[in-house]
Amino acid sequence: MKTGLTRRTVLQATAAGVAIRISLLPSATRAELIETPPHPGADWLGPGGKPKYRLDAIAKVTGGKTFTRDYRARDLAGWPKQQAHAFMLHATRVDRVFDSVDLSLLGEDLKPDRLVLHEDLVADGVAIPAPGFYGDVFFVPKGQTARLLGQPVALLIYHDFARYDAAKRKLRFNDRVVRYGAEGPSTTPGPYGAARYVRIDGGSPEAEDRYSALKDTTIRTGFKGEEPQWPAAGDGDAMARGMAAAAEIEREIANAGDDVLVLRRSFTSQSADASAMEADNGNVWYERATGILHALIATQSPHEVAEMAAHMVSKSTFPLKSIDLKIGYTVGYGTKDHAIFPFYCVLAGLYAEGRPVRLANDRYEQFQTALKRHAFQMDKVMVIDRKTGQFRAMTGRYRNDGGGRENFSVSVGTVGATAAQSIYYLPKSDFSAAILSSRAVDAGSMRGYGTLQTMAATEMMVDEAAEALGLDAMEFRRRNALKSGMKNSQGAIPSGALRHDEILARAEKHPLWAGRQERKAAFEAANPGQKYGVGYGHVHKDYGTGAEAALCALAFDSSGRLKLSHVAHEIGTGATTSQAVMAAGILGRQPDETEFGKVRWPQMPLETSDEPYTLSQEEEDRRMANPRWTPSFTSPMSASNSVYYLGHATREAARALVDLAIWPAARSLWSRGIGGGQLAPEAVRREDLRIVGGRINAAAMQPLSFAEVAAEAHRLGLVTGVTVHSFNRWQWAEAEFELPGTGRRRFAIDALAVQYGEGAPAERKALMTEGGWHFVDRASVFYPPTQRNNAGVTYYAPMATLAEITVDTGSGEVRLLSHHSILECGNQIVPELVSGQIQGGLAMGIGHALKEYLPLYEDGPGNGTWNWNRYELPTSKDVAVWSQTAEILPPLSETDPPKGMAEVVMIAVVPAIVNAVAHAIGKRFHSLPITPEKIREALA
Amino acid sequence: MTIATRTLSLTINDEAVGPIDVPETMMMQDFLYEYLNLTGSRMGCGQGICHACTVIVEKGDGSLEEMRTCITGAHWFAGRKVRTVEGHAKRDANGAITQLSPVQQAFIEHFSFQCGYCTPGFVTGATVLLDQLKRNPVRREALEGVISEALDRHICRCTGYVRYFEAVRDLVLRTPGLVKA
Repeated sequence: MKTGLTRRTVLQATAAGVAIRISLLPSATRAELIETPPHPGADWLGPGGKPKYRLDAIAKVTGGKTFTRDYRARDLAGWPKQQAHAFMLHATRVDRVFDSVDLSLLGEDLKPDRLVLHEDLVADGVAIPAPGFYGDVFFVPKGQTARLLGQPVALLIYHDFARYDAAKRKLRFNDRVVRYGAEGPSTTPGPYGAARYVRIDGGSPEAEDRYSALKDTTIRTGFKGEEPQWPAAGDGDAMARGMAAAAEIEREIANAGDDVLVLRRSFTSQSADASAMEADNGNVWYERATGILHALIATQSPHEVAEMAAHMVSKSTFPLKSIDLKIGYTVGYGTKDHAIFPFYCVLAGLYAEGRPVRLANDRYEQFQTALKRHAFQMDKVMVIDRKTGQFRAMTGRYRNDGGGRENFSVSVGTVGATAAQSIYYLPKSDFSAAILSSRAVDAGSMRGYGTLQTMAATEMMVDEAAEALGLDAMEFRRRNALKSGMKNSQGAIPSGALRHDEILARAEKHPLWAGRQERKAAFEAANPGQKYGVGYGHVHKDYGTGAEAALCALAFDSSGRLKLSHVAHEIGTGATTSQAVMAAGILGRQPDETEFGKVRWPQMPLETSDEPYTLSQEEEDRRMANPRWTPSFTSPMSASNSVYYLGHATREAARALVDLAIWPAARSLWSRGIGGGQLAPEAVRREDLRIVGGRINAAAMQPLSFAEVAAEAHRLGLVTGVTVHSFNRWQWAEAEFELPGTGRRRFAIDALAVQYGEGAPAERKALMTEGGWHFVDRASVFYPPTQRNNAGVTYYAPMATLAEITVDTGSGEVRLLSHHSILECGNQIVPELVSGQIQGGLAMGIGHALKEYLPLYEDGPGNGTWNWNRYELPTSKDVAVWSQTAEILPPLSETDPPKGMAEVVMIAVVPAIVNAVAHAIGKRFHSLPITPEKIREALA
Repeated sequence: MTIATRTLSLTINDEAVGPIDVPETMMMQDFLYEYLNLTGSRMGCGQGICHACTVIVEKGDGSLEEMRTCITGAHWFAGRKVRTVEGHAKRDANGAITQLSPVQQAFIEHFSFQCGYCTPGFVTGATVLLDQLKRNPVRREALEGVISEALDRHICRCTGYVRYFEAVRDLVLRTPGLVKA
């Protein structure tokens, strides 16, 4: 979820009048995923629809060019072959003004072929796109202090690699290269935002809330210094009433009697680096004469990069007619979503004098400039009825440090606050987020997105509360876990069944939990100096952003050759594999051709203001009358959105193709012959249609191959290609379409384009005017009301983890002996990919709990000296590689949708480990990571 | 230009390379990328920690050694036989892959990797391990420990290592002669 102020809002607010220019160039702006051979063999998908390996497996395992980082100009068709290279120099202090760069160390030979400073950009009118979101300046202006540690001061471009390489070696780590002047005033921006979610139920979970964000409003405010200035309580507008509700909860806490446990705790969660192994990089070739900017850039948000680059360059003196953005496979765990780095690549291209130039971070630079996980300070209060063991209220004050550029910090802070309830039903809750700025390296989107910090803290505290109440930790959770239909802390009812009770029942019976006391006694008796503990963590994580849009096209030719095109691209999760598997699952045929990361969709001439979070209902009602309007065009690859949201577009397109092509074509074939053919004696209905083992069948009808049906669909001139656009605001948009020869159809999409088969009459073919497709203006549309923006979230996937650890009381070392996890994610599309996500998420969570740590400021990554020698990542020995297990709840039925689970899997293990340490040594830690030093101090 | 260069000749993936003038201080990784367009051995840390950049050096006695290219100069490899990740699978005359190596096959069947950035290092490390086990088989009960010891230095950020390790164990167990009876 990414609620509240977004890049879009900032753009609207600060660049009104310019915003229309964002949509000026998309028609000439394109991006696509480069996929080079080797492609998988034709047998990669087994007859049962089970993939034998990932779609990208062979290319990746043989060292083929897959990542953006693997490509040079010589590999890109139409580009000049000579590759230029660039690197940047960075400010490592913010207290003194930037004066100059001293390149005398380089001598004449190694001087850059082009040096670019802030003043060059000013002269050429090149400005930051989306000011505020990406800060105010690319490079530190002379005479000013840096906004943040690690901010670039200069770009050095070399026409050849050898000189680039030699120069970079000479300059790096040398603190005399960037010259500073006198002390100067801080230029770090002020705090970024504050939001508060207050809820008081109506006496029961089912009753209408007395107050909630969904029913009333999210409370937002500004700052005095670093303190949010919340509105006064009152009975006037919704925010005042919300503050009155918050005051009521505060009074209840203050006046709590002996019948309740009031537990107050403070937690901190550290800044961390995603350490995506492919560091940020890009390659840009700008042709001034033609005004074409060619780029290959590693990003999770290609549409945004193309759009923003167009916005940025079109305002400058550099002529721009079109942008041709290519993307490779990448990985970022969120940190390549809306990062600023791609725009530095564009800058390099603009100043490379017609040469393709490559800007690629080394690992030190990656630590210095890549988006970080937010450090959180959390003050929490739990109010629990001692008799019932149930929550009466929970409050939390969350402060996250966004560093020196805003990026998604406000969104991360608010998402963290709305997730703080974890899996528990709270009759009263008050969660606030204060999103602060600092001179630290900027933080942004990263796997977990604020919820890792807040939910992990809640789960640590729940464990302590159970102990204080004298209740079994599982029993306490059971009494409070959300049941289906109960509201979340924003007052929204989560989608579908909530199955926490099933997970708790399985965890409680698991030998790790059931036998923990006996094993603790036995282990400690046999291992003097070693302590043994088992801990549990249970969370659920939203997936999606509250404004999820996607496009997918499926089309077949008369031989049955199927092509899948999709906005999704590959960030390692296997999204491209699973989209192909989902299409094959519905159509019974694997795509013969795939095209991912597609940004240019001429068949979808949609218009968007791209303000899905902030548009008023009145304005949206007005705009949706235009059948070509949509709240948002497409989403980045992030927020665990691929299988459910991006997959929805695939599934809707495939189902539409079944409805509009497969079923009528099959019926036509079965009806051949006298008297209505083989179909006539049977009452065959649409719901009888089955596609099994690649054969199309219904009731007793002769099974048909996809190729036979495809040929018939073309002969009849039926729909043979479908492109859909989908939109979800915690609920799906739906629309009706009047299709020639078919009538009115309703799908869970908001835009549709179709292609007609070869046999279609000329007048129908004449409708295919949009890139060879017929864009069908919708006859009616339903968009989820804008008030659902306040729901915060409705889609959750739950995960619980049991961790078995030992603590060496001498060294303080925590060793993970084993762990077991229980996940609920609906139907799995590719179980191997799900299992891989679980294992990888657990490793990242283990790193967060025990190892990974970054100081925020002068000693931190902004100083350019950090690498994996100091920032310890979990290795195989840290993760119980041979002794970890996981189970997944069976889906409710074959129609239980697949749920986004790539983030939730890393969270539960964090509190599980902390709670296990408490079990082992009787000490509770409230600050992560738990290092051996902290253990030794606690035991001293 | 004052960048000192030297002539370098070596064998990479069974093909003679060079003589080429290469800067004396250039790392092997950069030589592979920028001079030979072999970008499979990946830059991860540049300081020898993550092992995403490793290649195989085939020694005179036929045994294999794993070398980090990010901290080893290109000239160290002069005259040596090197196998990069691009040289493991069998290819036809046009360079198209006709057969994966056993390690590569095991990794794809086990869905061992996700983003795949570290995969070349794991292919290299596991191939060297199998070569060592062929020369010095281990007892079955020691196998997991041997795999951990050999591959723990390889960092993977996506997978949690499990599917890599299980693939190697599976391959070792079904390859005759690697585990003592």
